[in-house]
Amino acid sequence: MHQQFATVFVFMLLGLAFLFVSQIASKLLRPKNPYAAKQQSYECGEEPEGSPWIQFNVRFYLIALFFIVFDVEIIFMLPWAVVFNEMLGTVGPLAFWEMFTFVCVLLVGLAYVWLKGDLDWVKTIIARDDDELVNRGLSRYSSGDKLGKPGLGASEYV
Amino acid sequence: MPDLTTLHVHLGHYLTLSAILFFIGVSGVVFRRNAIIMFMSIELMLTAVNLTFLAVSRQLGDHQGHVFVLFALAVAAAEAGVGLAILVEIFKRRGSIDVDDFRKLME
Amino acid sequence: MNFTWSDAAYFWPEAIMALTFIACVLTDLVTRGRRHGVTLSVLIAGTVVSLAMTVIKAPEASHYVFGQMVVIDPFAHFFRYVFLFVTLVTAVFSYSSREIMGKDRENQGEYYSFLAVMCFGMMVMAEANDLLMLALSIELVSITSYIMAGYARFSLRSTEASLKYVLWGAMSSGVMLYGASILYGLTGATGFSAIREGLLAGSGSELALLVGMLFVLAGIGYKISAVPFHFWTPDVYEGAPTPVTALFSAGPKAAGFALLIRFFYTSLVQTDGTGGVTLLEGIQWPWLLAIMSAVTMTWGNLAALRQTNVKRMLAYSSIAHVGYLLMGFVLLTQAGLQAILFYLLIYAIMNLGAFLVVIALNNRLHSEHMDDYAGLGYREPILAGAMTIFLFSLTGLPPTAGFVAKFYLFAALVDSQLWWLALLGVLNSVISLYYYMSIARSMYFTPATETGGLGLSRAHVALVVILAVPTLVLGLYWSPVKALADSSLAFLLGG
Repeated sequence: MHQQFATVFVFMLLGLAFLFVSQIASKLLRPKNPYAAKQQSYECGEEPEGSPWIQFNVRFYLIALFFIVFDVEIIFMLPWAVVFNEMLGTVGPLAFWEMFTFVCVLLVGLAYVWLKGDLDWVKTIIARDDDELVNRGLSRYSSGDKLGKPGLGASEYV
Repeated sequence: MPDLTTLHVHLGHYLTLSAILFFIGVSGVVFRRNAIIMFMSIELMLTAVNLTFLAVSRQLGDHQGHVFVLFALAVAAAEAGVGLAILVEIFKRRGSIDVDDFRKLME
Repeated sequence: MNFTWSDAAYFWPEAIMALTFIACVLTDLVTRGRRHGVTLSVLIAGTVVSLAMTVIKAPEASHYVFGQMVVIDPFAHFFRYVFLFVTLVTAVFSYSSREIMGKDRENQGEYYSFLAVMCFGMMVMAEANDLLMLALSIELVSITSYIMAGYARFSLRSTEASLKYVLWGAMSSGVMLYGASILYGLTGATGFSAIREGLLAGSGSELALLVGMLFVLAGIGYKISAVPFHFWTPDVYEGAPTPVTALFSAGPKAAGFALLIRFFYTSLVQTDGTGGVTLLEGIQWPWLLAIMSAVTMTWGNLAALRQTNVKRMLAYSSIAHVGYLLMGFVLLTQAGLQAILFYLLIYAIMNLGAFLVVIALNNRLHSEHMDDYAGLGYREPILAGAMTIFLFSLTGLPPTAGFVAKFYLFAALVDSQLWWLALLGVLNSVISLYYYMSIARSMYFTPATETGGLGLSRAHVALVVILAVPTLVLGLYWSPVKALADSSLAFLLGG
């Protein structure tokens, strides 16, 4: 069995060697002539302007967070599922009701997330009119341009 | 012909690895200014803890360590989620995640 | 697994708090967050039912539930009263606080559900009998605290306090878990009694035991803000909304002490069945904790001298009080622990009272600076009088309850002949007089810039008086409370 590890190891070494040899050879053999137009980032022929950094939408983080929580719930269900049959013999229906309670508590979490609108991709903001939106630092058309500035209803001291 | 049939990884190796990971995590939290890197270092510390528990549990033949790891994973996930959410909130208001910029509360 | 329903019935108070948490979340969802008063009533109803169950199901002996991980004994029972009281009072404070429940604030109803789950977590912290339960309950309380500290989302201070709390708190919980893993590795068990058996059977290395114990102490010390794990306390206490600060100063601190006492006095000592205690393995942890106590007292008091922000000053004063509490911890006698329990209850009352006054004043004055309290003695005599009672009690002057609590502590120290620590404690109490009285001086001896009452709601003033009365009364007649504290400890060291 250990001979197969040796095969994998040799394979890895060869891969690394290929990488290194090709890069080093190329670096030694090519001419070095950098100038400004060559160093610019390529934007399909257009002139690049502005910073390449974009505002990352926080909804992606929220979805990842919900995934983690429910994934950990599944992690807890896995060992339970493995010994469930045995447990039915020793403690009886309690085995089922315990997990039922656990899932119910997490269902409350799901209900919370759902009813607060965090599962909608485009979040509905309930406001009576545009004035209220402006007072809350939001606008119907964009949500990103006020980030990082103290105008977002932030105060120094409450 | 070298002996390829016995594994030479003992408990000590695991414990050393986890101690090294733990201290890398601690130094990450102490010496870095970027809050996301600090969270990552905290996760590294928790990984080291998990590794210690599993190694010891394997050595002793006791399943209690595995159970502990399961719960420690859940705790780490919850803590990271809450911490990053707080970080998002503070970034929205201050525009920075460099912890040196958060000095409003220092005397 | 020896799971008996009769034993599990003792867990009802905690179960009711957990159900209250879910009920509060659902109530808030159903009312769409617009009527937080309804959620408050759900919380109060749940807490009262839990209190009733606590009284009905008072444990006479130790009951082990959940596979020996949670133990419900008179020691935990005493702390249940403390936590339920703190939760009730904080819930009522928060309802009247502008910082959390003001008209333009968000997420008002969910706050109560956090209070419920924090109460649950604190109660389990006092009952934890296993390393896993220690970690889980501390994490439950901690994560809820991180969220609550940042609750005033529009305030830059609050979000910053929350971030600092979560960064350092996560690190300390990582350290604590590592210590727990070392202890598990040494003894092969995670239950506290089983750890003691494992250590008695001869552990491998004393250095590893010391490191494991220190790391767990680091985690718990962070929660109770003992020096050198106190660095988060001033910032978080100042930045968090004041009701939340009041909760932090009373609840998790008491829970942390309960856990500390149970962990150290179950796993790291050997009792001989009559209340006497000997140490295991020759690790002199009382000395370590005595030094920690001395440094904590002194640091807290000295740092509080320079403060002008009342919340920050009260934060440092709470660090100093942790120092006093740790004094009783190092004695290894019943008297020391009884003094700690009594002190924790009195401390919760007087600290909550002081913070309630700060909340009431913040609602009107929008300020926490000591200079803005000028002339309050004449503008709001009842409030200022109550605040003076709380300040006297925090200092430890007779005839307030704080004096009685400190007296028992010092008496226990003198009995065990730990003179230097007792002297240091008295000295620190004298130093603390200066900064507590500087608030009183500002209230009574500094002329006010405006006259006339502040227009505080009667409910507020009534609440303050309700808290001030026990502070005075317990200074004159304290035996029932002391008897409760004494009887709660019989089990911990006697068996």
